[in-house]
Amino acid sequence: MWLRDLSSGSPKSRKTFWGLKEKYAIVGVGYTPQGKVPGRTALSFHLEACAKAIVDAGMKKEDIDGLICYRRFSPKLGEPEVTPYLLAQVLGITPRYLTQEANCARTHLFHAMAALEMGLCNYVLISYADNALSGRRTFIEEDTHGEPPGDLLLYGQMGFTADYAMAARRAMATFKTGPETWKEIAVAQRKWAALNPRAALCNKPLTYEDYYSSPMVTEPFRLCDACLISDGGRAIVVTSVERARDLKHPVVAIMGLGMANPSYDVHQSPFLAGPTGARKGGKQAFEMAGITLEDIDACQIYDCFTYTVEITLQDYGFFGPGEGGDWFREVGIGPGGRMPVNTSGGLLAEAYFMGLTPLSEGVMQLMGRCGDRQLGPKTGNKEPEVILVSDNGGVLQTHCCTILRRL
Amino acid sequence: MGGEVLVPQPTGDTKEFWEGCKGKKLLFQQCEACGHVRWPPSCLCPVCHSLEARWIDSSGRGKIYTFTVYHVAFHPAWKEKVPYITAVVELEEGPRLLTNVVDADPQTLSCDMPVEVVWGKAGEYFVPRFRLVG
Repeated sequence: MWLRDLSSGSPKSRKTFWGLKEKYAIVGVGYTPQGKVPGRTALSFHLEACAKAIVDAGMKKEDIDGLICYRRFSPKLGEPEVTPYLLAQVLGITPRYLTQEANCARTHLFHAMAALEMGLCNYVLISYADNALSGRRTFIEEDTHGEPPGDLLLYGQMGFTADYAMAARRAMATFKTGPETWKEIAVAQRKWAALNPRAALCNKPLTYEDYYSSPMVTEPFRLCDACLISDGGRAIVVTSVERARDLKHPVVAIMGLGMANPSYDVHQSPFLAGPTGARKGGKQAFEMAGITLEDIDACQIYDCFTYTVEITLQDYGFFGPGEGGDWFREVGIGPGGRMPVNTSGGLLAEAYFMGLTPLSEGVMQLMGRCGDRQLGPKTGNKEPEVILVSDNGGVLQTHCCTILRRL
Repeated sequence: MGGEVLVPQPTGDTKEFWEGCKGKKLLFQQCEACGHVRWPPSCLCPVCHSLEARWIDSSGRGKIYTFTVYHVAFHPAWKEKVPYITAVVELEEGPRLLTNVVDADPQTLSCDMPVEVVWGKAGEYFVPRFRLVG
């Protein structure tokens, strides 16, 4: 295929970009009730998450001069659409910088840092919320392809579960992977969820046998390979490290950031079995941070499906193609393992707030605020200083890699 | 999901393709400048940006690039049909087409198996689906 090599840019742009290393920080996280929370609007979850993130950072709403809605959704249950201006209105703020992603480009941290770097604002709030479970969102309308939706209906091709299953199937034909590998991810993340009272599946342990008896949805994926659909919201506040030092939590800086967008639709994609955007996006983030995989203490990996975790870690370079199954077993990604992955339970077992689930967990771990699942003596893990966070959108079409460090 | 009616709804980009399907012809655009055969239909060649293209008649032969087996119907129209197979078929001419594999046992199917087009009636059109060869 003809995918262009997306290098890190010219030496000059590299230097400018690398100058942003540890210049910005995430200083507050807002949680809401989550899981199945009937009777609430998507807007109400946004508002609660935003208000709590502001308080968590030790700020006032008047301080917020940038607002980013993580992603646009078609509203459910007859509600008004949550536009960024509606959200600003009801938060009672008039931010100088305002934007929202239409699909899944995963550029929110780039937007936030650019607006801060330009001096447009000082504190950027990033919010995600949805009443997807009560509103029975099936993530079919959100699934965009090059073909008209009606044509896809002719073939019965509907939704991300089938799309990612196709990616996973191609991987099975390309290197050694499959349910044997993915069960390790599903089971380990459920162990993390058991330590997280917020996790939807906190009280639902999963054994290998349970994994195999989980019903097939779109082969080769079982129900246990798929993420949750959740009511609720999550918000974070981004500002400069300089300002962060005056706020109340330990400073969690953005040490590295990388992006790569292979873009091709799953039906035409040449990268279903990798390398995905994680390869180049990861390389950029590590170059900016000036560290290697050896320096990573834990990972929060976007886990819309189990396979996504495998291919992302593989493309970051933790193991070679087909070595994932052995790596998960030998290294250990659950509590006490040598490379903890998705310590909140992740999208598979905590809650689905897209990239804000892994990102906020990375921040909370580095702040040391994770209760029973806090990495350290309690879990038998190293106390973390550096955490690798991934986000990807579409069907492996976009990728954002973030490296966080506690200063 | 748009279109409750399970017949093709041609757009400005796909109308020639579906016209071909009326006569059981599987048509793809080939770039006049660089020869790249593309899908889905578009006014522009993604390789060289030429706006000139002609429609070529595909052999209808290819291989399964990837596939999935639906055990759950996400739309009422497919409720009676589970388990069914959707696949990406790579045609001999190069394009990869989202389609179905029909008359096959999902448990014996694997990537890279050779397939050929079969036509299913949908209103005034025929819809290209694929079956295993041999």
